[in-house]
Amino acid sequence: MTHKFLSHQELASLIGQLLAAKTRVIAPVRAKDDSSQLEYQPIQSPDDATFGVRLPRRSLKEFFLPPTEVLLHYKQTKAGVEIREVPTEVPPQVIFGAVPCDAAGLAAVDKVMNWDYRDELWFGRREATTIVSFLCNTMDATCFCTAVGLGPESSTGSDALFVPVEDGYLAYLVTPKGEALLQNHGTEATATMLADAETSQREARAKVEPNLAAIPVEFATWLASNFDHPVWKTLALRCHGCGACAAMCPTCHCFDIVDEHISADEGVRRRNWDSCQTGLFTVHSSGHNPRASQSERFRQRIQHKFSIYPSRFGEILCTGCGRCSRGCPGGMDLPSIVGELVALAQAKPEAGGQ
Amino acid sequence: MNELQETARKLLSDGTVNVVIGYESGPRGVRAAFITAPEQADKLIFDTRCVQNLATYLNPRRTQITRLGKAAVVVKGCDARAVAGVIREKQIERANVVILAMRCGGVLQHPESDTPLNADTVSVRCANCKVREPKLFDYLLGELPPEPPVNTLRIEQIAALEKMTPSERWNFWSGQLSRCIRCHACREACPMCFCVKCTAEKSQPQWIDPSSTLQANRAWQTMRVLHQAGRCVDCLECERACPEHIPLSLLVGYVAEAVERRFDYVASDDPSVPAPFGVYRTDDDEEFIR
Repeated sequence: MTHKFLSHQELASLIGQLLAAKTRVIAPVRAKDDSSQLEYQPIQSPDDATFGVRLPRRSLKEFFLPPTEVLLHYKQTKAGVEIREVPTEVPPQVIFGAVPCDAAGLAAVDKVMNWDYRDELWFGRREATTIVSFLCNTMDATCFCTAVGLGPESSTGSDALFVPVEDGYLAYLVTPKGEALLQNHGTEATATMLADAETSQREARAKVEPNLAAIPVEFATWLASNFDHPVWKTLALRCHGCGACAAMCPTCHCFDIVDEHISADEGVRRRNWDSCQTGLFTVHSSGHNPRASQSERFRQRIQHKFSIYPSRFGEILCTGCGRCSRGCPGGMDLPSIVGELVALAQAKPEAGGQ
Repeated sequence: MNELQETARKLLSDGTVNVVIGYESGPRGVRAAFITAPEQADKLIFDTRCVQNLATYLNPRRTQITRLGKAAVVVKGCDARAVAGVIREKQIERANVVILAMRCGGVLQHPESDTPLNADTVSVRCANCKVREPKLFDYLLGELPPEPPVNTLRIEQIAALEKMTPSERWNFWSGQLSRCIRCHACREACPMCFCVKCTAEKSQPQWIDPSSTLQANRAWQTMRVLHQAGRCVDCLECERACPEHIPLSLLVGYVAEAVERRFDYVASDDPSVPAPFGVYRTDDDEEFIR
């Protein structure tokens, strides 16, 4: 991986140049309704961005899979039905100041979006976007990225990773897109800068690691063979099934497709975020619901993230960002729940439910 | 062992109830506890961080809880109104729930902060509290604390909304509701949203578009707040649940004020007092229906 030094002024001038060229630039900004909170928003000036203060309250997911989006327009005419699809090519955009876990979340979702069907809307946006992550130093007790194979210094899903050093950043150029972005910017990094950057990465990791031990590979197998374990019956008693966790989650990607009429003979087909935590998600047209209570729905959430997805795509569908737990009105806490389940799995290594 | 723990232990030991729904310390402050064995009763706590309205867990459709058996529930005076609400609306029978009511001197707006209770940190819903000593209970527990400090923020916000012209108010709410992602977390966390099938989920006909367009979001929240008129107990669970931080308590609070003004009714903690939604009176104020 190549690297460069970029001063604060050079970063501002790079963002300024992109904005002048009408490139959409997204960065963490102070939320309008609560200045203590950050959210990713398109910026108009380099000064709008607030880097490294805290985790933005929502992930980057909405820039690639919006809460609602039009898939096609339809119109009934005498000749038949006219279908007008939406363009899947989008103009280039650059995200500065992504937290590494959010970039990693997108990379995880790429797998399912290119599985039995290639989702052109998702990949249109993914390919048009260059993601610059910054070393995370805003972790709290609910973060557990290091337990899911990532870390505050993870470059998974990022095109470049910026690590703060004196007067600027050491920029690791992860992909050709990252290299292209910094082609005409930055200077050679000194050995001191490299050493400093490595120290900060180690220190950042050390702040998260005590929160939850690395999830063992066998956990996925244990989950798969303990579908009927009694723990599921009581694990989600306090869960409302409201799905706020899924809305906040950088990797929850389920959607529902609906047709909505604009007039008698015209309408749009949309896809909207959906969540396996609501009863409606699995209810059959007969009225039967295979996931009748919140116990089964919460089990589904854990199974999908920590067993089904890993067995199908080789990675956990969770970045350890902790948003689900911080935002939960019922006090569900994913790191402690996963910790409890891993302990059960390790206490009884032999497979087989009860 | 304190009074609450002692009562819970007794109820579980003598088989009066199978589960006590209360509060315990969790990894992120206080959270709901479901105590099923007498020896676990010492987990129960009650302090200024106990913000959540546990009456939501009495919804009979929450089968993962109902299958535990008969429940006792820990409530504050304000939450008791939600218990009265679900009894009044025939969701549960009074005899099938044991109410452990706590005397309360106010709770924190942000319970995860674990700060002392003062005018800056107290929940906006504790302003002018008239139910520090709950009236609906099987067991009335704890010492009566002093009156909570008053946080007038929401009173001021609602007054500001009332001063707005209709178009200003429309624009304010359009701005707020443009953020709604239609996850319906507000509904799921609400103790009074217990319909078997919510209108938002009816598709034949589709009353409300499920997509999070501004038009559909306005329709959804308008429907929800009108359905809550005189039923909402002002526990702010909807606002607490909203992942988009929409100030939903202003919406329900505004309607609650209108109900009080028009019908002289505030959500009652007496299940036998009918709510305006459920009664027809010939002397009802109809001046505003034209």
